[in-house]
Amino acid sequence: MTTLLILLPLAAALVIWVLPLNDISAGALALLAALVEVGLWIQLVVRYDFAQGGLQFSQQQSWFSDLHVSYHVGVYGFSVWLVGLTVVAMAAAIAYGFWVGRDRVRAYMGLMLFLTGAVVGVFTAQDLLLFYAFFEAMMIPLYVLVGVWGGPGRMGATLKFVLYTMAGSLLMLASIIVYGLSQNTFDLTEIGQSSSDWVFLGFVAAFAIKAPLFPLHGWLPDAYRESSPEVAAILSGVVSKAAAYGFLRIAIAKFPDPVQHYRVPILALAAIGLIYGSLLAFRAPDIRGVIAYSSLAQMGLITMGLFAVNDLGFDGAVLQMVNHGLVSTTLFLLAGMVERRTLTGELSRLGGMARGRPALATVLMTTGVIALAVPLSSAFAGEFLILAAVFRQGWGWSVVGAVAIVLAAAYILRLISALLHREVGPAVSDSALDLRPAELGVVVPLVACLLALSAWPAAITEHSFRHDRGQTDVTQGFK
Amino acid sequence: MIYGAWICLLSPLAAAGLITLAGKRITRRGAGYLATLSCFVSFGGAIAAFISLLGRSSEQRSVVSTAWLWITGGSYRSGFEVLIDPLSVMMMLIVSGVGALIVLYSIGYMDGDKEERRYFAYMALFVFSMLLLVQGGNLLILLAGWGMVGLSSYLLIGFWHERPSAIAAAKKAFIMNALGDAAMALALFLLIQKAGSVEFGILGGEYTSTVANLVALGLLGGAVAKSAQLPLQTWLPDAMEGPTPVSALIHAATMVTAGVYLIVRTHAIFEQAPKVADLAAGLGAGTLLIAGLVALVQVDIKRVIAYSTMSQIGYMFLGVGLGAYANGMFHLMTHAFFKALLFMAAGIVIHSLTDEQDIRKMGGLRRLMPRTFIAFLIGAVALVGLPPFAGFFSKDSILAAAMDHGAYGYVLWVVGLAGTFLTGLYTFRLVFLVFWGEPSAFVHEHFHALKPDLSGMTMGVPVAVLAVLSVIGGWIQFAPLWHPVETWLQSVAEPVVTPTNWQEGISSALAVVLGLLGIYVAWALYAVKTFSVPRLAFAQRLLEHKFYFDELYDTLFYRPAVWMTKGLYRGVEDPLIAESSASLGHDTRDLGRFVARLQTGLLRTYVLAIASSAAVLAIVFITVK
Repeated sequence: MTTLLILLPLAAALVIWVLPLNDISAGALALLAALVEVGLWIQLVVRYDFAQGGLQFSQQQSWFSDLHVSYHVGVYGFSVWLVGLTVVAMAAAIAYGFWVGRDRVRAYMGLMLFLTGAVVGVFTAQDLLLFYAFFEAMMIPLYVLVGVWGGPGRMGATLKFVLYTMAGSLLMLASIIVYGLSQNTFDLTEIGQSSSDWVFLGFVAAFAIKAPLFPLHGWLPDAYRESSPEVAAILSGVVSKAAAYGFLRIAIAKFPDPVQHYRVPILALAAIGLIYGSLLAFRAPDIRGVIAYSSLAQMGLITMGLFAVNDLGFDGAVLQMVNHGLVSTTLFLLAGMVERRTLTGELSRLGGMARGRPALATVLMTTGVIALAVPLSSAFAGEFLILAAVFRQGWGWSVVGAVAIVLAAAYILRLISALLHREVGPAVSDSALDLRPAELGVVVPLVACLLALSAWPAAITEHSFRHDRGQTDVTQGFK
Repeated sequence: MIYGAWICLLSPLAAAGLITLAGKRITRRGAGYLATLSCFVSFGGAIAAFISLLGRSSEQRSVVSTAWLWITGGSYRSGFEVLIDPLSVMMMLIVSGVGALIVLYSIGYMDGDKEERRYFAYMALFVFSMLLLVQGGNLLILLAGWGMVGLSSYLLIGFWHERPSAIAAAKKAFIMNALGDAAMALALFLLIQKAGSVEFGILGGEYTSTVANLVALGLLGGAVAKSAQLPLQTWLPDAMEGPTPVSALIHAATMVTAGVYLIVRTHAIFEQAPKVADLAAGLGAGTLLIAGLVALVQVDIKRVIAYSTMSQIGYMFLGVGLGAYANGMFHLMTHAFFKALLFMAAGIVIHSLTDEQDIRKMGGLRRLMPRTFIAFLIGAVALVGLPPFAGFFSKDSILAAAMDHGAYGYVLWVVGLAGTFLTGLYTFRLVFLVFWGEPSAFVHEHFHALKPDLSGMTMGVPVAVLAVLSVIGGWIQFAPLWHPVETWLQSVAEPVVTPTNWQEGISSALAVVLGLLGIYVAWALYAVKTFSVPRLAFAQRLLEHKFYFDELYDTLFYRPAVWMTKGLYRGVEDPLIAESSASLGHDTRDLGRFVARLQTGLLRTYVLAIASSAAVLAIVFITVK
């Protein structure tokens, strides 16, 4: 089952690359594969035994037996939700790319599917080297997707992105080798906990760059601005969650002592990122800038939840990963839809789009108010749990978080009214249509997922850790 | 009973969802009818819950119904639950009843607007949110409703979204309320930390005075933001940018009084934190005085009423802060009647004058629209609190309660009495300027009477109903003789103060005299103009700038934030982070060029390199072994 989830998109990618399909059928095939993948995931949810929890659907095949490296995959409760986020967001991104009609469709769709398989691999790998392989496999299509299909500044953006992530990856590789060799196994379910600060910091560096955490976000604004909207959506919505997953599955679960040593500095960086990102989002001159910096802020918040190292924080962080993934994907896709109509993302040239475009206004407003975590929304549930969790580490963290919630209200409302309200902007012509049915077909399911989660956030928080004891699971290294 | 409560809660949500999803398949008028119907269904549900509560003994009048587990985290659990008890049923009746009347009124008022469907979807969403707030079975659901009413208020203030002033007002309201939400959330975190839960029941537990004070302060922060009390009051007058029925429903009758409800609901913690409770009463007193003063110089008909709302909520805060819970809730109820009435009558005036709101252009409307005049007059008299109108019964018992609270109480009592004089003055200034005298040139030119057709009827009937309620609504409780409201709320919130009949009497007498004096001064100044309005340039400027609160917050918060953000861009993001990563790229390229130079193509350098590397490796292996 897990292997199938990884292999199906990879196989579909191969088929699309190899067969001489025309553009329409290549896109349609990719979309079909993405939807089948969603179907498979639904199967996974139905068949996963949440009452029992723990590692399920695991498959193991020895790879290098002398180093105790194996192909070992499987899912935990919380990985079910992250895989779900991946397949749903990727399906939306592929559908949007298909509808917009990217150049060289076969190459493009193949890369997107390859990316899907790699990210699912990251969330399910139970072997450190396999995890590393998927982590890198995830980056390769992204480099190409940003560098080839991006905007005018794509080369600079790609260069920064490659340099930052390569630096992180190399540190992580070094850490993996040292850690695996010292414990004589690379299997995540068997490997013992370590107290080595350096190995821990190697992992943290890689994940902090990928998330990103302040001040390692130098690659972020350009990458989110220059890539095509659906790639930006995946980058901020899904790929950043691989980093948060890494924090949870490896850094926190396997290094309890170093976590104690470095918790305060990491919390501080996360909190600074939260406030810093929110402030910058408030002044960002374009749509993507606002979403990009809000992403930085949200990743800070999720990291705070994780490094609170208690039940509330783990449950809240997993919930918030899914929330932010869906919100960010939806917002970037909507940004793309607006930019296609107006040829600009500059807020000063936009405005007044609500009049005559009820579907756009409704979808954007709904996503926006969830993004600013209005109480009763799923994002509120996530943020509430996270801030209640860090309160146990010191009330000051929660005060910072509460300030950030107010700032989030300010920057999201600014974005909404700059797009939808006030007088009609110079870049908005009457010929700019409301959302087309196909576009609604892409974003409405995402919004529907968010609304469903708002009604029942416990769907995720109750079903992430074994018997809902995240702390025990994590401190025991998911044994 | 449980079904009644859930129907009451969910029927407006269903209407909002249906109107949104139906889009153009539903007519504009149809959307209005659907929203109105849903509110009346809601009212029916509330009545059903009320009747079944009546049938129970007072100890059994508290039922929690949990629909599903909503939020969990570790061992912390919160259900999506509603609480049906005397307090929530009282609020349900007020919210759904007054709400239904105002939504009905909106059908006429919004007739012809291009986006009526959106309006009614928002209105239904608001009624749902408000009911969620008052029915919420634990503090988290209450907070959810708290945030949702803020959201619907934002949507409705900014309903005419092409007007920059409306959008600015909407954002201001939302952000100031977000501050309150954040304060409440912090109080909840503390409770989760200390008690592991946010059920209402844990508020009565034993806490150290620091914890109790902090929790009460957090809740009070939420309450003053939502109820536009000092120091978070500045959003309410701006909120008058919304359509008038919105002002009547959200910014007069229901949402802004939520702070009072919150304090009564969480009174157990306020009783453990008497200093914070005193602070609440003091803030209420301060607000009622300041708002009453500012109302004297406002020239926009809706803003005058908005300031009077702030002032009246100040009375309620004064009451519940001192522990006179039933009196505060009683005033909340009568205030909902007469303030909604005043707004809706003002809405008819505004409508008849082609959307003009400046009272300096009005005058002499008494003869042109006699029925509206009578309705407005009833509302005004009820507001001033003359017997036998509703405000008399409710406001005076709050003042009496202040006499039972020591020296501090006497200070508040004097402030409250001064407020009654101001109320008489600003209310009848409005009445005389708008309805008295000869019709102005502007009125002659623009007046067109409301047609007695269907849309006219939808506006007229709710006004008539509320006018009747503003007269008789106060008779429910007459403190010296009968007090059913107090008995009804006894099981939820036992009052802390019990004024004697003597205190009731003296407060009532003084309040009525001072109210009449205010009316007389208004009569002298604005109707017969015996005196001219005194000119005090300094005072006038101070009042016209609303005590400079907006300017103060602008300098204290908004400007530093903008300045800091600019600083962060110029000082950190651009030079350090963007630049460093760009130069990282250049450096790597330079490094690459440098490394490329090693490829000399000369065999001897390669051999040298290989040999020396091998030597180094050999040494390393030997020493490490």
